[in-house]
Amino acid sequence: MIRSDVVVIGGGFAGLIAALASAKRGKSVTLLTYGEGTLTLNSGVIDVLGFDENHNAVENPLAAIENLPADHPYKKIGTKALEESIDFFTAVARKNHIPYHGSLDRQMMVPTAVGTLKPTCFAPHSLSGSEVFPGKKRIVIVGIKGLKDFYGDIMVENLKKSLGEDKSYEVLEVETGLTGGRDITTQDVARWMDTDEGTSSFSKQLLKAESLQNGNTTDVLFVVPQVLGTKGHACYQTISSRVGTDVVETTCLPPSVNGMRLQALLIDSLRELGVDIVENTKVVGAEKDGTQATAVIAQTASNQKRYYAKKFILATGGFYSGGITMRDFEQPKEMIFDLPVYFVKGEENWSNKELFSNKPQGFAKTGILTDETLRPVDESGKRVLDNVYVVGRNLGGYDFCFEHSGNGVALASAYKAAMM
Amino acid sequence: MSDKTMIDEEERAIYSGDHCLSCTSCMANCPVMAAAKDYRGPKLVAPAHGRMHFSEDDTELSLDFCSNCKSCDRACPSGVAVSTLNMLQRAEYYKKHPHPQRDDMLAHAEKMAKLVNALPLGTTFANLGMKIGRSLGMFDSMGIAGEREMPAYASNTFAQEFRKIKQPSSDKKVVFFPGCSINYNEPHIGVAFVKVMNANGYEVILDEAFNCCGSPLVVTGYLDEAHEHAENNVERILYWKRQGIPVVATCTSCSLMLRKEYEELFGEEAMKEAGENVYDAFEFLEMLDAEGKFNTKLAPVNEKFLYHVPCHLKAAGIGTPVVSIFRHLPGAKVELADAGCCGMSGNYGFKKDKYEISMKIGEKLFSRIKAAHADDVICECPTCRMQIQHGTQAEPCHPIEILAKAYQ
Ligand SMILES: Cc1cc2nc3c(=O)[nH]c(=O)nc-3n(C[C@H](O)[C@H](O)[C@H](O)COP(=O)(O)OP(=O)(O)OC[C@H]3O[C@@H](n4cnc5c(N)ncnc54)[C@H](O)[C@@H]3O)c2cc1C
Ligand code: SF4
Ligand code: SF4
Repeated sequence: MIRSDVVVIGGGFAGLIAALASAKRGKSVTLLTYGEGTLTLNSGVIDVLGFDENHNAVENPLAAIENLPADHPYKKIGTKALEESIDFFTAVARKNHIPYHGSLDRQMMVPTAVGTLKPTCFAPHSLSGSEVFPGKKRIVIVGIKGLKDFYGDIMVENLKKSLGEDKSYEVLEVETGLTGGRDITTQDVARWMDTDEGTSSFSKQLLKAESLQNGNTTDVLFVVPQVLGTKGHACYQTISSRVGTDVVETTCLPPSVNGMRLQALLIDSLRELGVDIVENTKVVGAEKDGTQATAVIAQTASNQKRYYAKKFILATGGFYSGGITMRDFEQPKEMIFDLPVYFVKGEENWSNKELFSNKPQGFAKTGILTDETLRPVDESGKRVLDNVYVVGRNLGGYDFCFEHSGNGVALASAYKAAMM
Repeated sequence: MSDKTMIDEEERAIYSGDHCLSCTSCMANCPVMAAAKDYRGPKLVAPAHGRMHFSEDDTELSLDFCSNCKSCDRACPSGVAVSTLNMLQRAEYYKKHPHPQRDDMLAHAEKMAKLVNALPLGTTFANLGMKIGRSLGMFDSMGIAGEREMPAYASNTFAQEFRKIKQPSSDKKVVFFPGCSINYNEPHIGVAFVKVMNANGYEVILDEAFNCCGSPLVVTGYLDEAHEHAENNVERILYWKRQGIPVVATCTSCSLMLRKEYEELFGEEAMKEAGENVYDAFEFLEMLDAEGKFNTKLAPVNEKFLYHVPCHLKAAGIGTPVVSIFRHLPGAKVELADAGCCGMSGNYGFKKDKYEISMKIGEKLFSRIKAAHADDVICECPTCRMQIQHGTQAEPCHPIEILAKAYQ
């Protein structure tokens, strides 16, 4: 029998954190994954709560959590666990050379790939836009020759709106020698930046910026795509120190280099603690004994394998990642433990026609409701399983996209579930 | 005649491109894309074209870069059989285009080996011939990487060695699928497998009616031939299945082909059924262990092993059974290399025009091995081992050899 203290199902941000926090408590952990989660698609910045129910910008996430509806995951998690989870995460990240900035009682504004600013709570130094904006007078927007989805002019336009017309804006294009063949991606450039040749060529080209040629060097801010190396923060530090001023990366379209840095960091930490990671195995069912789950059944290339444990953490990513499916309308299903799934009833409430409107999408709140220990409950609020914990995008009652709370809920719920 | 019932359409790999979300995870994890700017990558090739169900005539030429390492399949959250779609499309391409000269040789290693073994002293002369051929640059002119050594033929095949082994008879039996590499190049690995199984109370059967799993044929686009191999092998596997005897392989690419890729490529129900009766050697031992039936009377080894997990084992979704079995080995410490694909991917790294890409992909693993100071490097895949030896001078072995030694 393959037995561990804890089996975590799903290798997205929530699953990785749940596995790591469990292993740090000395538990034996098996992590079962099927496909990459959304971590490598998002920028690895931790949004805690960007907007409230009425789409008003939230200034103090910690305070705003108090006013959320009772079914919202943060209400179950509680602010204490949220704060502890942030401490846990930032300590792990710092130890592994990706220090994060931020605080739960205010927003940080990070620049996006089109030059708008987006609220988030925690970001690595390389992405911490608003931490370095004060005092900057000359903005240099760095493009990469051959890189898709980087539009210097649009960035200037938008940055002028968000940072002010009073600053000077310059667009500089870096030549990498990577062109020829297909379009290059931020990941290609980041790999090039992992080499000495890359960092040295990149910093030399930045040093040629008009804006650096007169005046105070530290007045200048370089805004670059997510290309400063594939691992850790060393490349970011080298570049900033060579140009003698701040450099900030933008968020970007998938795949995201910073998401990959964070993923690599978490996987390395799991390996260090001896966590068994089983890839490419879809969990398809569970064995139960009353209100206890005893094992999950996972699909191999041609067979099924059972993983027994005392405790199971379900981090399968909800609707987006297949943790919850809906073959028939109004019949959403959680496939592994057959947990009750909450959803907004009535087609008219299901979605609102405008995709980017100021009302949340009904369907996005679909998910599993839990009690305060994050164990699943049915419609009447009664707990259905005693040793299964639900985390991340599986949780019902919130719309991560509308309120900008994705990684925040994932982190806090995963940490709390691991501590239970 | 074998049963040609097809798997339900929704379940068939050939239609899995319909599930693509365009999330780009496959591209972010493709080692060839990382090493070669000319490869447009899996998302643009397989799912995009696969969605047309190959009805259109336009071929994405950069598909030639794909090594079938399956890193994309593992990354895909939507169950798209990305690499298989690539291989199906490659085969479509070669229906209308000629193969490069070297493909014939790289795809038909089994045929060559059979010829060589049929001649008196054939293996000796063939090994000599390969050395000479290489030094004269003959391989190079055929399109085979001159930097590489061709794997040498063993003086006896595994089948010959097997007949010499006196096994204790047992009711518990497994059929061993040695694959070409063990049968013709490294029979000692097969011998080690028999020893391990015997020590666990199993008698090993060798079924000489099996042929090459077909992996080298699939990756070079000889799909019809691969299909013939598949039909023969599936019929044999089902024959043993009916008697309740599992088929076990020590090569992780052979086992993946038998258990999963046949089904994905050809979509026949019988292939799926056969796949259920195929196991990797360490997976099988782990199953014994789960039932408390694994023989743990093992001599201490006191060594630190660096383990390179082959891509095709990762794709099998069974985790790393070597690690859990080695926990029973007194004094053994296993560290995962965790350095991605080795770059060899079967016969990919033997192609002259892919040699550089192959070595570039392997760099991370090479430096990991050089820095690790392990006593031994272990890996189940024969071509990964060749690549490791070529890139580092280390002499990796199959973990089953370590286990066999501990059963002394
Ligand atoms: C494009 C995009 C950009 C985003 N940007 C941001 C951002 O900037 N900041 C932010 O805070 N949030 C962002 N988010 C939201 C954030 O990514 C998620 O809310 C959060 O990370 C959810 O994590 P998760 O682990 O719960 O789910 P996921 O990341 O979806 O992971 C679920 C995992 O479970 C696996 N799985 C599913 N079913 C099974 C099964 N049966 N067996 C085994 N494994 C299974 C999946 O393959 C996957 O690996 C973004 C989301 C997207 C899609
Ligand atoms: S099989 Fe390997 S080389 Fe081919 S597309 Fe997938 S990841 Fe890339
Ligand atoms: S990983 Fe899968 S879903 Fe994502 S782009 Fe590739 S094939 Fe499509």
